[in-house]
Amino acid sequence: MGYVKDERPETMMVEGDWQVGAYRYKAPRLLEEYAQNLKNKKIVGSLCMGCGKVIVQPRNICGRCHRRMEERKIVSEWGSLTCFVVSPPVVKGKYKLFGLDPVDTGALKEGEVMIPVFVRFDGSDSNIACLLFNAKPEEVFIGMRVKAVWAKELKGAMSDLDGVEPIR
Amino acid sequence: MFRNCAIIGCGQTKHTSKRRDVSAAELAAEAVNAALVDAGITMKDVDCVVSGNMQGFGGIAQPEQWLGDWIGCAGKPAIRIATGGTTGGSVGQGACYTVASGMYNVSLAVAWEKHSDSKEAGATTGLAHVGMGNLFHALAYGLSLKNLIATTAVGAAAGVAVYQARYYMQRSGCRQEHLDMVAAKNRRCAAKNPYAHLQWPNCQPEDIAKTDLIAYPFRYGHVCPASDGASAIVVAEEKFARKHCKQPAWFKGLASYSDEENQLQSENYGGVGVIDPSEQMGARVSAMKAYKMAGITDPQKEVDLAEIYQPFPSQELIFSERLGLFDEGTAWKHMEKGETDINGRLPISVSGGVNATNAIGSSALQRILEAALQIMGKAGEHQVPKKVKTAVAHGWGGVTNYITFTVLGDTPRG
Amino acid sequence: MMEKKFDVLTVNGLPIVQAQFNWSVGVLMQKFLKSLANKKFLAAKCPECGYIYAPPRNTCAKCWKKIEEKDLIEISGGGTLVSYTVGYVELDGKANWVDLKKPKVIGAIKLEGANSLFFAPIEADPKDVKIGMKIGLEWNSELKGGWKDIKHFKPVS
Repeated sequence: MGYVKDERPETMMVEGDWQVGAYRYKAPRLLEEYAQNLKNKKIVGSLCMGCGKVIVQPRNICGRCHRRMEERKIVSEWGSLTCFVVSPPVVKGKYKLFGLDPVDTGALKEGEVMIPVFVRFDGSDSNIACLLFNAKPEEVFIGMRVKAVWAKELKGAMSDLDGVEPIR
Repeated sequence: MFRNCAIIGCGQTKHTSKRRDVSAAELAAEAVNAALVDAGITMKDVDCVVSGNMQGFGGIAQPEQWLGDWIGCAGKPAIRIATGGTTGGSVGQGACYTVASGMYNVSLAVAWEKHSDSKEAGATTGLAHVGMGNLFHALAYGLSLKNLIATTAVGAAAGVAVYQARYYMQRSGCRQEHLDMVAAKNRRCAAKNPYAHLQWPNCQPEDIAKTDLIAYPFRYGHVCPASDGASAIVVAEEKFARKHCKQPAWFKGLASYSDEENQLQSENYGGVGVIDPSEQMGARVSAMKAYKMAGITDPQKEVDLAEIYQPFPSQELIFSERLGLFDEGTAWKHMEKGETDINGRLPISVSGGVNATNAIGSSALQRILEAALQIMGKAGEHQVPKKVKTAVAHGWGGVTNYITFTVLGDTPRG
Repeated sequence: MMEKKFDVLTVNGLPIVQAQFNWSVGVLMQKFLKSLANKKFLAAKCPECGYIYAPPRNTCAKCWKKIEEKDLIEISGGGTLVSYTVGYVELDGKANWVDLKKPKVIGAIKLEGANSLFFAPIEADPKDVKIGMKIGLEWNSELKGGWKDIKHFKPVS
């Protein structure tokens, strides 16, 4: 590398940690409502009566109007890709999240190529981040039409919406 | 009511990946000392201290309690401001407000970050603790770990910036080579800046293109470092400024604009109404407001130099368009022609920018500081050859939440 | 204002997740900690205003002058008790209050030869403690160059 190096003496260090997991957060039950609707293969968003925006996953206050969003609207299973990223093949030990290695925990397989995408389901005014299945990286483009892929067993959890796949 | 005020002194520490020779307090004090020496004043002349950093990255909660008397707060009003990545920008603007409002005559702004105090490399600890509540909330409703890790971790160091780059490249026709060119320019310029972190003398785009890919279009050579460092500026009202400084950098216009949060999803996993993270409405609107306040009608002609907050090279191009310096979709063409280099028509981030030096809390204050140095003529080796009458400094925080934008000039307002 | 009809859920954080840190101490503090291995208690004297800080710091809080290694002086580590309190309960690190078997005395000590106050637990029975009494420190048998080299502070006659 052509970087100029700067070496400094190191002084003693005091160790410690923040127990970030020790908190007990309070949350409204909106995500619960969304997850339960997924069991019936329905994707629910909240509708703002001020600006008319539909936000998926639902939230209680509109970001622009500051109105309460009490109305709900069901959006389509079909949508378009608004953005995508193609990961390089997964390498064990290269990246840790919260001290956990993705391959060790079984979440990802070594050598797997993932395509995380942003999907805007028809009728919604917001993106959802999820994975694109059954597609080759070369054929993905922004604006591609996709449809939801449901988990084999629907439990009323966020994982019921597994991801999306191209409509062929 | 905005009375004239100017920056009369700037101080920074050398930025490296591990400043383990000092504690966080000593690091901030180093920058404060350098600023006071540069301004030619003593701590007794300072009336108010404004400070800031991102506390999760250095692991010191309410750091203003410890650092207070290390940065001169004893006997003075002291405020701490935190606004995500643009903390430094808000701190600089905060110091300006305290003087411009007429409350105080001389204010000191200091911002710092000490990433090496966290055990995990880079900014991982800080970024992780930001998303904690979000994560637990989603996991409680059965979010699949695979989905979470793939969508957030795959971007790895880059996160939402990767998506942002994709949007921009799709719209404007910019290619990966252009990101190589921008990153090389920043590291080349940083080699002329004694305080910068990633200094690569005479770096060329081919050197950057040889580094490994993280996630298309970002390479390791594109990404900003996680630096330890601090910066400080002294802001004074007109009479004091004229007495103590030959060429102060006057505040002509400042603005800040917040938009909806957009960390992929909202912090409690609700959706957000912002589809395109490269749209950056906050940047457009704060630029409009600040130019109006400064009396600038044609930024493309009237701005001589810009210090843009760009941890990633794609952001240099995106923001230069959003801030009105180039027409939509053309920034990469102007950059290709060399217009944004030190000798160019509109030099951008010739200190190396955030791309070469990123001590998160202090980065946005450094943009104001570097723009001021160029106006004062004190930038040393990376001083641009043309006369700088108007310089702009920009700060970016959250993903779309916070933008600060400051216009500095070589003469006062009115 | 949350309306009453919004039902609120409690989401627990995972206790295994921690953000870990290792804070650098700086040159003067390192000198102080390493000198404890030689039973030396160091302080820093400001070359400008003469204020003496124990443990040392590299910037004077009063006059802003830089304090360097050459300004370090040695003090006894003992002093006078200017104030104290007695604790009867303690937190166990898991948000539970625990009754102490022996009440703990925490004292504010004006160190001999220094201007700053030093706060430390005092090894003594609460009924024997009086403001103004002399306090000294006892060293550990094993000295490694860290805070644990000081076994405890106790009243001395």
